Amino acid sequence: MRVFEAIKGRRSIRKFEDRSIEKKILHKLVEAGVWAPTGGNSQTWVFIIVTDSDRIRKIKAVSPGILGIPSALVVVCQDKELAYKKGGELGRDVSSIMDVAMASQNIMLQAYNEKIGSCPVLSFYKKGVQTLLNIPEWIVPELLISLGYPAELPKPPKRKFGEVCFFEEYKCANGR
Amino acid sequence: MEDKLEKEIFELICYMLISARNLDQETKMYGPFRLVDAASKLIEILEKNEIYDEFLSQVRTIIEANKYKVMTNKEDFVSFLDDLALKMVANLKEAE
Repeated sequence: MRVFEAIKGRRSIRKFEDRSIEKKILHKLVEAGVWAPTGGNSQTWVFIIVTDSDRIRKIKAVSPGILGIPSALVVVCQDKELAYKKGGELGRDVSSIMDVAMASQNIMLQAYNEKIGSCPVLSFYKKGVQTLLNIPEWIVPELLISLGYPAELPKPPKRKFGEVCFFEEYKCANGR
Repeated sequence: MEDKLEKEIFELICYMLISARNLDQETKMYGPFRLVDAASKLIEILEKNEIYDEFLSQVRTIIEANKYKVMTNKEDFVSFLDDLALKMVANLKEAE
């Protein structure tokens, strides 16, 4: 599959089939994540793959942003102590979040390539997820990615390419 | 059956309380979204436990068909909430 086809074809999926995802595919998704760039090559993320349905139910109960019943979750975390050691305050507070975002996009694109739907979830209770998954306090869950075979194919929201892309210099439009 | 019901209700309460915790940092429109989603989840639990009501079942269908408008078009989402509120009021009046 061509990269641009995957980028344009990926949707946020919120309705999944009741069908599990093979472990080797899940590993491959996270492998795609760890090949993402990181600030200063810090590589301070931690990925936790959850497939146990009872555990997923419990995480869902503390994660209002998880919609539908995913077959798997990837909890994308940052080792904040290590991020600080490697990158100082900028590394811990800014770069680490960007690293999570870049790795997550890789995971979601690879998922699309495997015909698996995904949805990034930010609406969740971090301390709740830490408790449920025995994650120590210095490793902070920053994003959840719900995964499953899609039971829907939503239409893409419009993109405003012409309004947000400029060549050479910014051009003021509508007073902004 | 009771254990399952208790579990489902517990998880719904969890969902509502965690939403309350998180909503102060989230976009304003997620407040109404979480409320209608919670209503839909409650109706679903009742149905699964053989407490079925034709009207509430319709309400759930409407919620599920429209709730994601919050992500794409705020006006459409508010208009859906308006229609739903009016539907509830009409039913309330009929029941007098």
